[in-house]
Amino acid sequence: MIDFEPSEDQRMMQDSVAQFAKSTLAPRIRESEKLRAVPEDVRRLAHEMGLGFIDVPESAGGQGLGLLTRVMLEEELGSADAGAAFGLSGPGTFGAAVVELGTVEQAAELLADFGSTDGHARFGAVAWSEAKPNKERAGFVTTAVLEGDGYKITGKKAFIINAPHASRFLVFAQVDASKGWGGLGAFVVEKDNAGLKVGSRHDTLGLEAAAFGEITLDNAIVPASARLGGGLSEADFTKAMLRYFSKQALVVAARAVGLARFAYEIALEYCETRKTFGKPIGHFQAVAFNLADRHMDVESSRWLVWKAAFAWDTKRPENEAIRASAQAAAFALEAAMRTGDDCVALHGGSGFIRDLIAEKLMRDAKQIALCCATPEQLDQIAAAIDLRAPLDPALVLPTPDAQAIFT
Amino acid sequence: MIDFVLSKKQQELKEGIHNVGKFVIRPMSLEMDRNHEVPEPFLRNFMKLAGGRGGQDIENFGEDGSGEEGKKERDPSKISEANRTSAVGAEELAWADAAMVLCMPGAGLGGPPVKSTGTPEQRKRFLGMFKGMDTGPLKWGAYGLTEPGAGSDVSGIRSSCRKDGKHWVLNGRKCYITNGGRAIWTVIFATIDPALGRAGHRAFVVEKGTPGFEVGKIEEKMGLRANETAELVLEDCRVPEENLLGGEAAYTTKEGGFMTAMKTFDNTRPLVGAMAVGIGRAAYEYARDFVKENYLIGRPIPRYAAIAAKLSQVSRKLDAARMLVWRATYMADMGIPNAKEASMSKAAAGQAATQACIDAIEICGAHGSIATEHALLEKWFRDVKVYDIFEGTGNIQRIVIAKRIMPGLKAF
Ligand SMILES: Cc1cc2nc3c(=O)[nH]c(=O)nc-3n(C[C@H](O)[C@H](O)[C@H](O)COP(=O)(O)OP(=O)(O)OC[C@H]3O[C@@H](n4cnc5c(N)ncnc54)[C@H](O)[C@@H]3O)c2cc1C
Repeated sequence: MIDFEPSEDQRMMQDSVAQFAKSTLAPRIRESEKLRAVPEDVRRLAHEMGLGFIDVPESAGGQGLGLLTRVMLEEELGSADAGAAFGLSGPGTFGAAVVELGTVEQAAELLADFGSTDGHARFGAVAWSEAKPNKERAGFVTTAVLEGDGYKITGKKAFIINAPHASRFLVFAQVDASKGWGGLGAFVVEKDNAGLKVGSRHDTLGLEAAAFGEITLDNAIVPASARLGGGLSEADFTKAMLRYFSKQALVVAARAVGLARFAYEIALEYCETRKTFGKPIGHFQAVAFNLADRHMDVESSRWLVWKAAFAWDTKRPENEAIRASAQAAAFALEAAMRTGDDCVALHGGSGFIRDLIAEKLMRDAKQIALCCATPEQLDQIAAAIDLRAPLDPALVLPTPDAQAIFT
Repeated sequence: MIDFVLSKKQQELKEGIHNVGKFVIRPMSLEMDRNHEVPEPFLRNFMKLAGGRGGQDIENFGEDGSGEEGKKERDPSKISEANRTSAVGAEELAWADAAMVLCMPGAGLGGPPVKSTGTPEQRKRFLGMFKGMDTGPLKWGAYGLTEPGAGSDVSGIRSSCRKDGKHWVLNGRKCYITNGGRAIWTVIFATIDPALGRAGHRAFVVEKGTPGFEVGKIEEKMGLRANETAELVLEDCRVPEENLLGGEAAYTTKEGGFMTAMKTFDNTRPLVGAMAVGIGRAAYEYARDFVKENYLIGRPIPRYAAIAAKLSQVSRKLDAARMLVWRATYMADMGIPNAKEASMSKAAAGQAATQACIDAIEICGAHGSIATEHALLEKWFRDVKVYDIFEGTGNIQRIVIAKRIMPGLKAF
């Protein structure tokens, strides 16, 4: 039966994360921005709350609370500081990828130290994107060559969320050059690998509390056991990556819903107080209708995200869940951009000045839409599923051929 | 517990309507559009399926909505799903045919004001008239608010009413009234004094055949051509005082009559939204299937990628609107005030569905605009626009929303 009421447990967690977000993250949003990191004491607090392990399965050492609970909590983080939501420590997207591609044992082993007492200092990262598409052939420039009983990885990866801090990476590389986007492999590479060099940090438009950066792999040698999902067929590997990208998009979308809510709320408050021509600007129709539209955006984004997360948690057919996630995320990311944009516009000149938070929210809103498969790519995924087109990895994976993204 | 799966009953209702829609209604859709009517035998069969109850109140298909028509008592400890069920049914019926959904016998839009404001006797009397339509004659009710001079501006109605002995005397003109010509009664809104604004409004159930109550022009429309839209004329029409909806007592508060008109909308707007989503979905699926049959969507070839993107955008906007519809009906079922959410669902759905039809034609190219035997798309494009107009235009919904999010805003 259609029901929008969270369970008692979900409410309680939502309240406590909202409390943390409001009292700890929000007041320090500018501090985190300047620091270009989430302050250590804040990370420690989040770590103690177990925020990095909400939906990680219990078998892999997580709380196993499901994606729906996760997105509800991510919205709260996003409503205070979306940058911090990305900049918090923990396994992050690395955890999600490992769960999709690895076995339960691999996941448990690879995620264990993120949960330890010093876990607040540990970050995981996924090295997917490359700065430039490969002009020679389809697929990544970065290659992994089987050598002895291991692989030798060479190449350069870019746009990696938390790369500068990460202790462990999942690196994607071309294993079979003849298979194009169907010939990928995923490899766990430790930060202390002799062939790995953490490169420069990108200076980004928004979400400054999260560190985006590059890594270089120069004959980085990893054991064969470091390869995840190596036994999967091309189709199954693509499917696993689609699961990863769509769930990841949903998490990012939830943060975007929070961000949009933040932007909408401060815009609303401003429109009720700022007066021109003798009345609050919100009492002019052009402004009021704009607010009404953004309110609809925030609400409908949230319900779409919930519904998609629910589809995963209740084990709906996989294509249905992937499609729902792609569409929810595409909608929410665009809605967040509209809201951030309008938030600045409705603040007039003051919206452009850094004394107010509006300008940061607009920058964050654009940045966040690049932190997972973008609306353009998500639309291709959803359409491919709806048209029952073959899920060709070249078409449905967010490859640098189509558009570079942060992962 | 958060849940987005239809109940068993809703699923069955959806599938039932879908099958009738696909195999019976769709094949006669174009003809109904040309002939400006829905064949009576079909409606009668449909009424039989619905157990002789009002068909336009789709909720009656699922769960008992009114409770007073001799149907089985609802268990008060169980939360009603009626509004959610109605939304599910309405979407599916509109998916089948956008005009058909408004042609279903029953109290129609006249039902909600009678239910919400009528006295127990009035509810029994006026809603009871729709019993037994599986065997007896088909009947419709109507809702007469709009006038040539006042649509959005409800408080500006000029149709007058004055008490004379045990009767009220009504004068004025109503326009664009759905099923107005065939209705056995119409809820007519009139004013005792335009200067009083909303406080002067009164709502009457005016029965067909009442002297001085005539049907005027039947409109020719862009779409929804199978559905009747009528002008109603009141000339010294004497309505018995028992037909004043809710009795005098209902109008002691300042905005009694106006609130009667408005309360209707909290329940009906999400349903109109659901219908819009149904039409938009029909257009979307049409375009999707057209693309599936005619193009090879493989590797990212620019033109196909653009078409795929458009398809996905259409569908996600409809999905978003459906979520707002579900949310509004969920709140209605839970007894949570939902005026804002009802308006949000209607505004989003009307817009998304209209855009869906526009884009679906675009996606199909020239094929999309040809009104041949097989092209329902051209008809849906004509049908859908009014869903963004009646029951409050998109702008009017935004006024309602704005007033709810800014309590300090009284008027623009
Ligand atoms: C097929 C059909 C069936 C109908 N069925 C019924 C029925 O059964 N019963 C009934 O009572 N009515 C019915 N209507 C009437 C319908 O509800 C009205 O047409 C509608 O509410 C709009 O009113 P209007 O036509 O007077 O337009 P107007 O109110 O004149 O509006 C014209 C335009 O101005 C905009 N506008 C108006 N006021 C404002 C404002 N304050 N701020 C911003 N913009 C504004 C509107 O959004 C619209 O775009 C039906 C109409 C149609 C076409």
